[in-house]
Amino acid sequence: MGWALLGGGRTTFVLLAAPAILYVLAWRIGPALYTLWLSLHQYNLVYDAQPQWVLFKNYTLLFQDAGLWDALRRSIAFALIATGVELIVGMAAAAFFDSKPPGRNFLLGLFLLPMIMAPVVVGTVWSALFDQTVGPVPYLLELLHGPRIAWLATPLSAFFGLVAADVWEWSPLLALLLFAAMQAIPREQYEAARVDGATSLQLFWRLTLPQVAGMTAVAAGLRLMDAFLELDKVFVMTGGGPGTATQFASFFIYKQAFQGYELGYASAVITCLLALLAVAYGAYLRQPRGSVRG
Amino acid sequence: MPRNVRRRHWGHTVGTVLVLLWTLPPFLYLVLLSVKPERLMVERSVLLFWPTFERYRDIVVTDLGLPIWNSLITSGVGAVGALLLAGLAAVTFSFLDFRWKAALFLVILLPRMFPPVTTLIPIQLMLKDLDLIDTRTGLIVLFIGFQIPLAIWVLRTFFDEIPRELAESAAIDGASLWSIVRHIILPLSRTGLLAAFILAFIFNWNEFLFPLIVTSFNAKTGAVAIMSFAGGYKKLQWGSLAVLGVVMTMPVIIFVVAFRATLIRGFTAGALKG
Repeated sequence: MGWALLGGGRTTFVLLAAPAILYVLAWRIGPALYTLWLSLHQYNLVYDAQPQWVLFKNYTLLFQDAGLWDALRRSIAFALIATGVELIVGMAAAAFFDSKPPGRNFLLGLFLLPMIMAPVVVGTVWSALFDQTVGPVPYLLELLHGPRIAWLATPLSAFFGLVAADVWEWSPLLALLLFAAMQAIPREQYEAARVDGATSLQLFWRLTLPQVAGMTAVAAGLRLMDAFLELDKVFVMTGGGPGTATQFASFFIYKQAFQGYELGYASAVITCLLALLAVAYGAYLRQPRGSVRG
Repeated sequence: MPRNVRRRHWGHTVGTVLVLLWTLPPFLYLVLLSVKPERLMVERSVLLFWPTFERYRDIVVTDLGLPIWNSLITSGVGAVGALLLAGLAAVTFSFLDFRWKAALFLVILLPRMFPPVTTLIPIQLMLKDLDLIDTRTGLIVLFIGFQIPLAIWVLRTFFDEIPRELAESAAIDGASLWSIVRHIILPLSRTGLLAAFILAFIFNWNEFLFPLIVTSFNAKTGAVAIMSFAGGYKKLQWGSLAVLGVVMTMPVIIFVVAFRATLIRGFTAGALKG
Protein backbone atom coordinates (compact mmCIF):
# COMPACT_ATOMS: atom_id res chain seq x y z
CA MET A 1 0.00 0.00 0.00
CA GLY A 2 1.40 3.38 -0.98
CA TRP A 3 -0.52 5.53 1.41
CA ALA A 4 0.72 5.59 4.99
CA LEU A 5 -1.60 2.88 6.32
CA LEU A 6 -4.41 5.29 7.01
CA GLY A 7 -2.63 7.49 9.49
CA GLY A 8 -1.67 4.72 11.85
CA GLY A 9 1.18 2.27 11.91
CA ARG A 10 0.80 -1.43 11.36
CA THR A 11 1.07 -1.94 15.10
CA THR A 12 -1.86 0.37 15.68
CA PHE A 13 -4.03 -1.81 13.52
CA VAL A 14 -2.97 -4.94 15.29
CA LEU A 15 -3.71 -3.27 18.60
CA LEU A 16 -7.16 -2.37 17.36
CA ALA A 17 -8.00 -5.96 16.58
CA ALA A 18 -6.24 -7.43 19.60
CA PRO A 19 -8.93 -6.91 22.25
CA ALA A 20 -11.58 -8.67 20.18
CA ILE A 21 -9.24 -11.51 19.25
CA LEU A 22 -8.03 -12.00 22.80
CA TYR A 23 -11.60 -11.94 24.04
CA VAL A 24 -12.62 -14.66 21.60
CA LEU A 25 -9.55 -16.71 22.47
CA ALA A 26 -10.32 -16.44 26.17
CA TRP A 27 -14.04 -17.03 26.08
CA ARG A 28 -14.68 -19.19 23.03
CA ILE A 29 -11.56 -21.01 21.78
CA GLY A 30 -9.95 -21.50 25.17
CA PRO A 31 -12.99 -23.14 26.75
CA ALA A 32 -13.41 -25.40 23.72
CA LEU A 33 -9.81 -26.56 24.11
CA TYR A 34 -10.48 -27.13 27.80
CA THR A 35 -13.37 -29.39 26.88
CA LEU A 36 -11.06 -31.42 24.68
CA TRP A 37 -8.58 -31.64 27.54
CA LEU A 38 -11.23 -32.56 30.07
CA SER A 39 -12.44 -35.41 27.87
CA LEU A 40 -9.24 -37.24 28.75
CA HIS A 41 -10.01 -37.06 32.45
CA GLN A 42 -12.40 -38.56 34.89
CA TYR A 43 -14.12 -35.70 36.67
CA ASN A 44 -17.31 -36.08 38.56
CA LEU A 45 -18.07 -32.74 40.14
CA VAL A 46 -19.57 -34.37 43.21
CA TYR A 47 -17.18 -37.24 43.83
CA ASP A 48 -13.85 -36.16 42.39
CA ALA A 49 -11.85 -33.40 44.04
CA GLN A 50 -10.09 -32.74 40.75
CA PRO A 51 -9.89 -34.18 37.25
CA GLN A 52 -7.99 -37.46 37.02
CA TRP A 53 -6.07 -38.45 33.94
CA VAL A 54 -7.61 -41.52 32.33
CA LEU A 55 -6.55 -41.07 28.71
CA PHE A 56 -9.14 -42.68 26.47
CA LYS A 57 -11.24 -44.46 29.05
CA ASN A 58 -14.18 -42.09 28.51
CA TYR A 59 -14.08 -42.84 24.82
CA THR A 60 -14.19 -46.60 25.31
CA LEU A 61 -17.11 -46.13 27.69
CA LEU A 62 -18.96 -43.99 25.23
CA PHE A 63 -18.78 -46.51 22.45
CA GLN A 64 -20.61 -48.94 24.70
CA ASP A 65 -23.16 -46.44 25.90
CA ALA A 66 -26.47 -47.51 24.42
CA GLY A 67 -28.14 -44.39 25.74
CA LEU A 68 -25.78 -42.24 23.72
CA TRP A 69 -26.27 -44.17 20.49
CA ASP A 70 -30.03 -43.98 20.93
CA ALA A 71 -29.76 -40.24 21.45
CA LEU A 72 -27.67 -39.87 18.31
CA ARG A 73 -30.13 -41.91 16.31
CA ARG A 74 -33.03 -39.81 17.53
CA SER A 75 -31.16 -36.61 16.67
CA ILE A 76 -30.40 -37.82 13.16
CA ALA A 77 -34.00 -38.89 12.58
CA PHE A 78 -35.25 -35.57 13.90
CA ALA A 79 -32.81 -33.59 11.77
CA LEU A 80 -33.63 -35.49 8.59
CA ILE A 81 -37.40 -35.37 8.97
CA ALA A 82 -37.59 -31.77 10.12
CA THR A 83 -35.20 -30.51 7.43
CA GLY A 84 -37.02 -32.47 4.74
CA VAL A 85 -40.36 -30.92 5.58
CA GLU A 86 -38.81 -27.47 5.99
CA LEU A 87 -37.28 -27.70 2.54
CA ILE A 88 -40.63 -28.45 0.97
CA VAL A 89 -42.47 -25.73 2.84
CA GLY A 90 -39.61 -23.29 2.33
CA MET A 91 -39.45 -23.99 -1.39
CA ALA A 92 -43.17 -23.46 -1.80
CA ALA A 93 -43.06 -20.24 0.21
CA ALA A 94 -40.02 -19.00 -1.70
CA ALA A 95 -41.75 -19.64 -5.01
CA PHE A 96 -44.75 -17.72 -3.72
CA PHE A 97 -42.66 -14.73 -2.68
CA ASP A 98 -40.73 -14.88 -5.93
CA SER A 99 -43.98 -14.49 -7.85
CA LYS A 100 -44.21 -10.94 -6.53
CA PRO A 101 -47.49 -10.99 -4.63
CA PRO A 102 -48.85 -7.63 -3.50
CA GLY A 103 -47.42 -6.55 -0.15
CA ARG A 104 -44.58 -8.99 -0.57
CA ASN A 105 -42.06 -7.24 1.65
CA PHE A 106 -44.55 -6.98 4.47
CA LEU A 107 -45.62 -10.60 4.09
CA LEU A 108 -42.05 -11.81 3.96
CA GLY A 109 -41.20 -9.87 7.10
CA LEU A 110 -44.21 -11.31 8.85
CA PHE A 111 -43.35 -14.81 7.70
CA LEU A 112 -39.97 -14.52 9.36
CA LEU A 113 -41.50 -14.06 12.80
CA PRO A 114 -41.22 -17.68 13.97
CA MET A 115 -37.54 -17.76 13.17
CA ILE A 116 -36.64 -14.65 15.14
CA MET A 117 -38.62 -15.63 18.20
CA ALA A 118 -36.64 -17.24 20.98
CA PRO A 119 -36.72 -21.02 20.57
CA VAL A 120 -37.96 -21.29 24.15
CA VAL A 121 -40.94 -19.15 23.22
CA VAL A 122 -41.61 -21.31 20.17
CA GLY A 123 -41.51 -24.27 22.52
CA THR A 124 -43.96 -22.49 24.80
CA VAL A 125 -46.33 -21.72 21.94
CA TRP A 126 -46.38 -25.30 20.75
CA SER A 127 -46.66 -26.71 24.25
CA ALA A 128 -49.77 -24.61 24.59
CA LEU A 129 -51.12 -25.77 21.25
CA PHE A 130 -50.69 -29.42 22.16
CA ASP A 131 -51.68 -29.21 25.80
CA GLN A 132 -54.53 -31.39 27.02
CA THR A 133 -56.16 -28.66 29.03
CA VAL A 134 -55.63 -25.45 27.09
CA GLY A 135 -54.56 -26.64 23.66
CA PRO A 136 -56.65 -26.26 20.53
CA VAL A 137 -55.14 -29.33 18.88
CA PRO A 138 -56.55 -31.90 21.32
CA TYR A 139 -59.76 -29.88 21.45
CA LEU A 140 -60.27 -29.90 17.69
CA LEU A 141 -59.49 -33.59 17.59
CA GLU A 142 -62.08 -34.13 20.29
CA LEU A 143 -64.67 -32.14 18.34
CA LEU A 144 -64.01 -34.30 15.31
CA HIS A 145 -64.39 -37.40 17.47
CA GLY A 146 -60.76 -38.26 16.84
CA PRO A 147 -58.55 -40.37 19.10
CA ARG A 148 -57.50 -38.99 22.46
CA ILE A 149 -53.76 -38.51 22.19
CA ALA A 150 -51.62 -37.24 25.02
CA TRP A 151 -49.53 -35.36 22.51
CA LEU A 152 -46.44 -34.51 24.43
CA ALA A 153 -46.71 -37.44 26.81
CA THR A 154 -46.64 -40.22 24.22
CA PRO A 155 -43.27 -41.05 22.66
CA LEU A 156 -44.15 -40.93 18.97
CA SER A 157 -46.47 -37.94 19.13
CA ALA A 158 -44.01 -36.06 21.32
CA PHE A 159 -41.33 -36.60 18.69
CA PHE A 160 -43.58 -35.32 15.94
CA GLY A 161 -44.80 -32.50 18.11
CA LEU A 162 -41.19 -31.34 18.25
CA VAL A 163 -40.89 -31.78 14.51
CA ALA A 164 -43.99 -29.64 14.03
CA ALA A 165 -42.60 -26.89 16.22
CA ASP A 166 -39.27 -27.01 14.42
CA VAL A 167 -40.91 -26.90 11.01
CA TRP A 168 -42.99 -23.91 12.05
CA GLU A 169 -39.94 -22.14 13.39
CA TRP A 170 -37.41 -22.76 10.66
CA SER A 171 -39.24 -23.15 7.35
CA PRO A 172 -39.15 -19.34 7.07
CA LEU A 173 -35.35 -19.39 7.16
CA LEU A 174 -35.19 -21.83 4.30
CA ALA A 175 -37.83 -19.81 2.49
CA LEU A 176 -35.68 -16.69 2.88
CA LEU A 177 -32.54 -18.37 1.59
CA LEU A 178 -34.30 -20.05 -1.32
CA PHE A 179 -36.10 -16.80 -2.14
CA ALA A 180 -32.75 -15.01 -2.30
CA ALA A 181 -31.50 -17.67 -4.69
CA MET A 182 -34.60 -17.42 -6.84
CA GLN A 183 -34.30 -13.66 -7.06
CA ALA A 184 -30.92 -14.12 -8.67
CA ILE A 185 -32.42 -15.94 -11.63
CA PRO A 186 -32.76 -13.58 -14.60
CA ARG A 187 -36.37 -12.86 -15.47
CA GLU A 188 -35.67 -13.13 -19.19
CA GLN A 189 -35.38 -16.88 -18.88
CA TYR A 190 -38.94 -17.08 -17.65
CA GLU A 191 -40.22 -14.70 -20.29
CA ALA A 192 -38.52 -16.61 -23.06
CA ALA A 193 -39.85 -19.91 -21.81
CA ARG A 194 -43.35 -18.51 -21.50
CA VAL A 195 -43.22 -17.29 -25.05
CA ASP A 196 -42.39 -20.87 -26.02
CA GLY A 197 -45.54 -21.94 -24.22
CA ALA A 198 -44.22 -23.32 -20.94
CA THR A 199 -46.64 -23.76 -18.05
CA SER A 200 -45.92 -22.46 -14.57
CA LEU A 201 -45.18 -25.94 -13.33
CA GLN A 202 -42.69 -26.55 -16.11
CA LEU A 203 -41.08 -23.21 -15.40
CA PHE A 204 -40.60 -24.16 -11.78
CA TRP A 205 -39.42 -27.69 -12.42
CA ARG A 206 -37.09 -26.99 -15.33
CA LEU A 207 -35.88 -23.44 -14.71
CA THR A 208 -36.18 -22.53 -11.03
CA LEU A 209 -35.36 -25.77 -9.29
CA PRO A 210 -32.06 -26.55 -11.03
CA GLN A 211 -30.82 -23.04 -10.46
CA VAL A 212 -31.53 -23.06 -6.75
CA ALA A 213 -30.02 -26.50 -6.26
CA GLY A 214 -26.83 -24.99 -4.88
CA MET A 215 -28.58 -22.88 -2.29
CA THR A 216 -30.86 -25.80 -1.45
CA ALA A 217 -27.85 -27.89 -0.54
CA VAL A 218 -26.34 -25.08 1.53
CA ALA A 219 -29.58 -24.40 3.35
CA ALA A 220 -30.27 -28.07 3.95
CA GLY A 221 -26.79 -28.59 5.34
CA LEU A 222 -27.12 -25.63 7.71
CA ARG A 223 -30.48 -26.75 8.91
CA LEU A 224 -29.49 -30.40 9.32
CA MET A 225 -26.62 -29.50 11.60
CA ASP A 226 -28.67 -27.13 13.70
CA ALA A 227 -31.60 -29.51 14.02
CA PHE A 228 -29.25 -32.28 15.06
CA LEU A 229 -28.15 -30.10 17.97
CA GLU A 230 -31.66 -28.98 18.95
CA LEU A 231 -32.03 -28.33 22.66
CA ASP A 232 -34.16 -25.35 23.70
CA LYS A 233 -37.48 -26.64 22.44
CA VAL A 234 -36.86 -30.08 23.89
CA PHE A 235 -36.32 -28.48 27.28
CA VAL A 236 -39.57 -26.59 27.21
CA MET A 237 -41.84 -29.03 25.43
CA THR A 238 -40.86 -32.48 26.64
CA GLY A 239 -37.84 -32.35 28.93
CA GLY A 240 -36.43 -35.24 26.94
CA GLY A 241 -39.43 -37.36 27.69
CA PRO A 242 -41.59 -39.23 28.01
CA GLY A 243 -38.80 -41.35 29.43
CA THR A 244 -36.06 -40.77 26.92
CA ALA A 245 -38.20 -40.68 23.80
CA THR A 246 -37.16 -37.20 22.80
CA GLN A 247 -33.73 -37.14 24.36
CA PHE A 248 -31.64 -35.83 21.53
CA ALA A 249 -27.86 -35.59 21.50
CA SER A 250 -27.56 -32.18 23.16
CA PHE A 251 -30.03 -33.08 25.88
CA PHE A 252 -28.14 -36.29 26.58
CA ILE A 253 -24.97 -34.24 27.06
CA TYR A 254 -26.80 -31.80 29.30
CA LYS A 255 -28.03 -34.62 31.51
CA GLN A 256 -24.59 -36.18 31.77
CA ALA A 257 -22.96 -32.91 32.72
CA PHE A 258 -25.55 -31.17 34.85
CA GLN A 259 -27.59 -33.96 36.35
CA GLY A 260 -25.02 -36.73 36.42
CA TYR A 261 -22.10 -34.35 37.07
CA GLU A 262 -19.85 -36.49 34.90
CA LEU A 263 -17.93 -33.62 33.36
CA GLY A 264 -15.13 -35.72 31.90
CA TYR A 265 -17.47 -38.14 30.21
CA ALA A 266 -19.71 -35.38 28.91
CA SER A 267 -16.65 -33.67 27.48
CA ALA A 268 -15.72 -36.86 25.65
CA VAL A 269 -19.19 -37.06 24.14
CA ILE A 270 -18.94 -33.43 23.08
CA THR A 271 -15.55 -34.08 21.49
CA CYS A 272 -16.94 -36.97 19.48
CA LEU A 273 -19.82 -34.81 18.39
CA LEU A 274 -17.37 -32.10 17.32
CA ALA A 275 -15.41 -34.64 15.32
CA LEU A 276 -18.60 -35.86 13.62
CA LEU A 277 -19.61 -32.30 12.80
CA ALA A 278 -16.14 -31.46 11.53
CA VAL A 279 -16.28 -34.40 9.16
CA ALA A 280 -19.77 -33.46 8.01
CA TYR A 281 -18.77 -29.83 7.60
CA GLY A 282 -15.68 -30.85 5.66
CA ALA A 283 -17.68 -33.02 3.28
CA TYR A 284 -20.23 -30.23 2.94
CA LEU A 285 -17.58 -27.68 1.98
CA ARG A 286 -16.00 -29.96 -0.56
CA GLN A 287 -19.07 -30.09 -2.76
CA PRO A 288 -18.38 -30.02 -6.50
CA ARG A 289 -18.93 -27.00 -8.71
CA GLY A 290 -18.29 -24.59 -5.85
CA SER A 291 -22.03 -24.58 -5.44
CA VAL A 292 -21.61 -24.02 -1.69
CA ARG A 293 -20.91 -20.33 -2.14
CA GLY A 294 -24.38 -20.37 -3.62
CA MET B 1 -59.09 -10.25 -17.71
CA PRO B 2 -56.85 -12.81 -19.43
CA ARG B 3 -56.99 -16.24 -17.85
CA ASN B 4 -53.30 -16.23 -17.03
CA VAL B 5 -53.55 -13.08 -14.94
CA ARG B 6 -56.67 -14.25 -13.18
CA ARG B 7 -54.96 -17.48 -12.26
CA ARG B 8 -52.01 -15.54 -10.92
CA HIS B 9 -54.23 -13.33 -8.75
CA TRP B 10 -55.95 -16.40 -7.43
CA GLY B 11 -52.57 -17.95 -6.65
CA HIS B 12 -51.47 -14.79 -4.86
CA THR B 13 -54.58 -14.75 -2.71
CA VAL B 14 -54.21 -18.38 -1.74
CA GLY B 15 -50.53 -17.90 -1.01
CA THR B 16 -51.13 -14.81 1.10
CA VAL B 17 -53.81 -16.57 3.11
CA LEU B 18 -51.53 -19.55 3.65
CA VAL B 19 -48.66 -17.36 4.82
CA LEU B 20 -50.94 -15.57 7.27
CA LEU B 21 -52.43 -18.84 8.49
CA TRP B 22 -48.97 -20.27 9.01
CA THR B 23 -47.46 -17.42 10.95
CA LEU B 24 -50.19 -15.78 12.97
CA PRO B 25 -52.48 -18.32 14.66
CA PRO B 26 -49.88 -20.06 16.85
CA PHE B 27 -48.48 -16.80 18.13
CA LEU B 28 -51.87 -15.14 18.47
CA TYR B 29 -53.04 -18.09 20.52
CA LEU B 30 -50.30 -17.33 23.00
CA VAL B 31 -51.42 -13.72 23.14
CA LEU B 32 -54.96 -14.94 23.68
CA LEU B 33 -53.91 -17.14 26.58
CA SER B 34 -52.03 -14.27 28.15
CA VAL B 35 -55.18 -12.17 28.54
CA LYS B 36 -57.65 -14.95 29.20
CA PRO B 37 -59.18 -14.84 32.69
CA GLU B 38 -58.04 -17.72 34.83
CA ARG B 39 -61.43 -19.33 35.22
CA LEU B 40 -61.90 -19.52 31.46
CA MET B 41 -58.45 -20.90 30.77
CA VAL B 42 -59.50 -24.45 30.00
CA GLU B 43 -62.66 -23.49 28.14
CA ARG B 44 -61.21 -23.73 24.71
CA SER B 45 -64.41 -22.95 22.87
CA VAL B 46 -64.58 -19.56 24.55
CA LEU B 47 -62.79 -17.22 22.20
CA LEU B 48 -64.65 -14.01 22.92
CA PHE B 49 -64.18 -12.73 26.42
CA TRP B 50 -63.31 -9.67 28.33
CA PRO B 51 -59.49 -9.67 28.42
CA THR B 52 -57.63 -9.31 31.68
CA PHE B 53 -54.45 -7.32 31.68
CA GLU B 54 -53.57 -7.89 35.29
CA ARG B 55 -50.86 -10.41 34.40
CA TYR B 56 -49.12 -7.74 32.38
CA ARG B 57 -49.50 -5.38 35.28
CA ASP B 58 -47.93 -8.01 37.50
CA ILE B 59 -44.90 -8.11 35.27
CA VAL B 60 -44.28 -4.45 35.82
CA VAL B 61 -45.24 -4.35 39.48
CA THR B 62 -43.94 -7.57 41.00
CA ASP B 63 -40.80 -9.67 40.94
CA LEU B 64 -42.08 -11.38 37.87
CA GLY B 65 -40.57 -8.53 35.88
CA LEU B 66 -37.04 -9.04 37.16
CA PRO B 67 -36.07 -11.67 34.59
CA ILE B 68 -37.28 -9.38 31.80
CA TRP B 69 -35.26 -6.54 33.21
CA ASN B 70 -32.21 -8.79 33.43
CA SER B 71 -32.69 -9.80 29.83
CA LEU B 72 -32.95 -6.17 28.76
CA ILE B 73 -29.78 -5.08 30.51
CA THR B 74 -27.61 -8.04 29.66
CA SER B 75 -28.71 -8.13 26.02
CA GLY B 76 -28.26 -4.41 25.53
CA VAL B 77 -24.96 -3.96 27.30
CA GLY B 78 -23.66 -7.19 25.82
CA ALA B 79 -24.52 -6.00 22.33
CA VAL B 80 -22.87 -2.62 22.85
CA GLY B 81 -19.75 -4.22 24.28
CA ALA B 82 -19.52 -6.65 21.39
CA LEU B 83 -19.94 -3.79 18.91
CA LEU B 84 -17.14 -1.78 20.49
CA LEU B 85 -14.62 -4.58 20.36
CA ALA B 86 -15.83 -5.91 17.04
CA GLY B 87 -15.90 -2.48 15.44
CA LEU B 88 -12.23 -1.87 16.17
CA ALA B 89 -11.30 -5.30 14.89
CA ALA B 90 -13.46 -4.89 11.81
CA VAL B 91 -11.57 -1.71 10.90
CA THR B 92 -8.40 -3.74 10.86
CA PHE B 93 -9.91 -6.63 8.95
CA SER B 94 -11.45 -4.38 6.38
CA PHE B 95 -8.71 -1.84 5.74
CA LEU B 96 -5.53 -3.70 6.44
CA ASP B 97 -4.00 -6.44 4.37
CA PHE B 98 -1.65 -8.69 6.24
CA ARG B 99 -0.46 -12.23 5.86
CA TRP B 100 -2.12 -13.61 8.94
CA LYS B 101 -5.51 -12.18 8.21
CA ALA B 102 -6.85 -15.48 6.90
CA ALA B 103 -5.73 -17.34 10.00
CA LEU B 104 -7.09 -14.77 12.40
CA PHE B 105 -10.35 -14.60 10.56
CA LEU B 106 -10.68 -18.31 11.02
CA VAL B 107 -10.30 -17.72 14.73
CA ILE B 108 -13.24 -15.38 14.55
CA LEU B 109 -15.32 -17.71 12.40
CA LEU B 110 -14.34 -20.93 14.12
CA PRO B 111 -16.27 -20.40 17.35
CA ARG B 112 -19.47 -20.01 15.40
CA MET B 113 -19.10 -23.55 14.12
CA PHE B 114 -19.00 -25.17 17.56
CA PRO B 115 -22.28 -26.51 18.88
CA PRO B 116 -23.38 -24.45 21.88
CA VAL B 117 -22.82 -27.29 24.36
CA THR B 118 -19.10 -27.35 23.64
CA THR B 119 -18.08 -24.61 26.02
CA LEU B 120 -20.86 -25.05 28.57
CA ILE B 121 -18.80 -26.87 31.18
CA PRO B 122 -15.62 -24.78 31.04
CA ILE B 123 -17.60 -21.54 31.01
CA GLN B 124 -19.46 -22.55 34.12
CA LEU B 125 -16.21 -23.45 35.84
CA MET B 126 -14.60 -20.19 34.72
CA LEU B 127 -17.47 -18.06 35.96
CA LYS B 128 -17.47 -19.94 39.23
CA ASP B 129 -13.80 -19.15 39.71
CA LEU B 130 -14.39 -15.49 38.90
CA ASP B 131 -17.33 -15.34 41.29
CA LEU B 132 -19.60 -14.26 38.48
CA ILE B 133 -22.22 -16.98 38.78
CA ASP B 134 -25.74 -15.62 38.95
CA THR B 135 -24.66 -12.06 38.18
CA ARG B 136 -25.65 -9.82 35.33
CA THR B 137 -22.00 -8.95 34.82
CA GLY B 138 -21.18 -12.60 34.24
CA LEU B 139 -23.88 -12.84 31.60
CA ILE B 140 -22.73 -9.66 29.93
CA VAL B 141 -19.18 -10.98 29.77
CA LEU B 142 -20.51 -14.12 28.12
CA PHE B 143 -22.79 -12.31 25.71
CA ILE B 144 -20.01 -10.07 24.49
CA GLY B 145 -17.98 -13.15 23.69
CA PHE B 146 -20.91 -14.71 21.86
CA GLN B 147 -21.59 -11.80 19.59
CA ILE B 148 -18.11 -10.56 18.69
CA PRO B 149 -17.68 -13.03 15.80
CA LEU B 150 -20.99 -12.16 14.16
CA ALA B 151 -20.48 -8.46 14.78
CA ILE B 152 -17.06 -8.48 13.17
CA TRP B 153 -18.46 -10.33 10.19
CA VAL B 154 -21.35 -7.92 9.68
CA LEU B 155 -19.35 -4.76 10.34
CA ARG B 156 -16.54 -5.81 8.07
CA THR B 157 -19.03 -6.32 5.25
CA PHE B 158 -20.31 -2.79 5.75
CA PHE B 159 -16.85 -1.27 6.16
CA ASP B 160 -15.81 -2.90 2.90
CA GLU B 161 -18.32 -0.71 1.14
CA ILE B 162 -16.67 2.50 2.24
CA PRO B 163 -14.66 3.84 -0.70
CA ARG B 164 -11.00 3.37 0.00
CA GLU B 165 -10.10 6.65 -1.71
CA LEU B 166 -11.91 8.65 0.95
CA ALA B 167 -9.81 7.15 3.69
CA GLU B 168 -6.65 7.22 1.63
CA SER B 169 -6.88 10.87 0.70
CA ALA B 170 -7.61 11.80 4.29
CA ALA B 171 -4.53 9.88 5.35
CA ILE B 172 -2.42 11.55 2.71
CA ASP B 173 -3.65 14.88 4.01
CA GLY B 174 -2.23 13.89 7.37
CA ALA B 175 -5.35 12.80 9.28
CA SER B 176 -4.80 10.44 12.19
CA LEU B 177 -6.39 7.02 12.25
CA TRP B 178 -8.67 8.08 15.03
CA SER B 179 -10.06 11.03 13.12
CA ILE B 180 -10.51 8.89 10.02
CA VAL B 181 -12.57 6.51 12.07
CA ARG B 182 -14.59 9.29 13.63
CA HIS B 183 -15.24 11.35 10.55
CA ILE B 184 -15.31 8.88 7.71
CA ILE B 185 -15.88 5.33 8.84
CA LEU B 186 -18.44 5.84 11.60
CA PRO B 187 -20.81 8.17 9.74
CA LEU B 188 -20.78 6.02 6.60
CA SER B 189 -21.49 2.78 8.43
CA ARG B 190 -24.43 3.82 10.57
CA THR B 191 -26.67 1.24 8.94
CA GLY B 192 -24.15 -1.48 9.57
CA LEU B 193 -23.70 -0.50 13.19
CA LEU B 194 -27.43 -0.49 13.71
CA ALA B 195 -27.89 -3.84 11.99
CA ALA B 196 -25.08 -5.38 14.01
CA PHE B 197 -26.50 -4.00 17.25
CA ILE B 198 -29.97 -5.32 16.56
CA LEU B 199 -28.72 -8.75 15.57
CA ALA B 200 -26.48 -8.95 18.62
CA PHE B 201 -29.30 -7.79 20.88
CA ILE B 202 -31.77 -10.30 19.49
CA PHE B 203 -29.35 -13.21 19.73
CA ASN B 204 -28.50 -12.28 23.31
CA TRP B 205 -32.16 -11.83 24.15
CA ASN B 206 -33.06 -15.27 22.82
CA GLU B 207 -30.18 -17.01 24.53
CA PHE B 208 -31.32 -19.83 26.79
CA LEU B 209 -28.82 -22.56 27.57
CA PHE B 210 -26.02 -20.49 29.08
CA PRO B 211 -28.24 -18.30 31.24
CA LEU B 212 -29.92 -21.48 32.44
CA ILE B 213 -26.65 -22.98 33.60
CA VAL B 214 -25.03 -19.85 34.88
CA THR B 215 -27.80 -18.02 36.76
CA SER B 216 -30.31 -18.96 39.42
CA PHE B 217 -32.18 -16.26 41.32
CA ASN B 218 -30.71 -12.85 40.82
CA ALA B 219 -29.65 -12.77 37.22
CA LYS B 220 -32.22 -15.10 35.73
CA THR B 221 -33.22 -13.98 32.26
CA GLY B 222 -36.65 -14.06 30.66
CA ALA B 223 -35.88 -17.21 28.71
CA VAL B 224 -34.89 -19.03 31.89
CA ALA B 225 -37.98 -17.74 33.68
CA ILE B 226 -40.11 -19.33 30.98
CA MET B 227 -38.32 -22.54 31.71
CA SER B 228 -39.18 -22.43 35.39
CA PHE B 229 -42.87 -22.29 34.50
CA ALA B 230 -42.52 -24.97 31.87
CA GLY B 231 -40.28 -28.00 31.75
CA GLY B 232 -41.59 -31.42 30.83
CA TYR B 233 -45.32 -31.63 31.21
CA LYS B 234 -45.76 -29.95 34.56
CA LYS B 235 -47.27 -26.83 33.15
CA LEU B 236 -50.13 -25.35 35.08
CA GLN B 237 -49.74 -21.60 35.06
CA TRP B 238 -50.52 -21.06 31.43
CA GLY B 239 -51.45 -17.44 31.92
CA SER B 240 -48.10 -16.43 33.35
CA LEU B 241 -46.27 -18.59 30.87
CA ALA B 242 -48.12 -16.96 28.01
CA VAL B 243 -47.39 -13.46 29.26
CA LEU B 244 -43.69 -14.21 29.57
CA GLY B 245 -43.72 -15.62 26.07
CA VAL B 246 -45.43 -12.57 24.64
CA VAL B 247 -43.19 -10.12 26.49
CA MET B 248 -40.11 -12.02 25.37
CA THR B 249 -41.25 -11.69 21.78
CA MET B 250 -42.17 -8.01 21.85
CA PRO B 251 -38.72 -6.40 21.55
CA VAL B 252 -37.82 -8.76 18.76
CA ILE B 253 -40.95 -7.88 16.82
CA ILE B 254 -40.48 -4.17 17.40
CA PHE B 255 -36.89 -4.20 16.26
CA VAL B 256 -37.62 -6.21 13.18
CA VAL B 257 -40.65 -4.21 12.12
CA ALA B 258 -38.89 -0.91 12.65
CA PHE B 259 -35.66 -1.88 10.99
CA ARG B 260 -36.71 -4.41 8.38
CA ALA B 261 -34.58 -3.18 5.53
CA THR B 262 -31.47 -2.67 7.67
CA LEU B 263 -31.79 -6.10 9.11
CA ILE B 264 -32.24 -7.99 5.88
CA ARG B 265 -29.02 -6.43 4.63
CA GLY B 266 -27.20 -7.31 7.81
CA PHE B 267 -28.71 -10.74 8.09
CA THR B 268 -27.92 -11.88 4.58
CA ALA B 269 -24.44 -10.38 4.87
CA GLY B 270 -23.57 -11.81 8.22
CA ALA B 271 -25.67 -14.58 9.56
CA LEU B 272 -25.12 -17.19 6.88
CA LYS B 273 -22.43 -19.43 8.28
CA GLY B 274 -21.25 -20.57 4.88
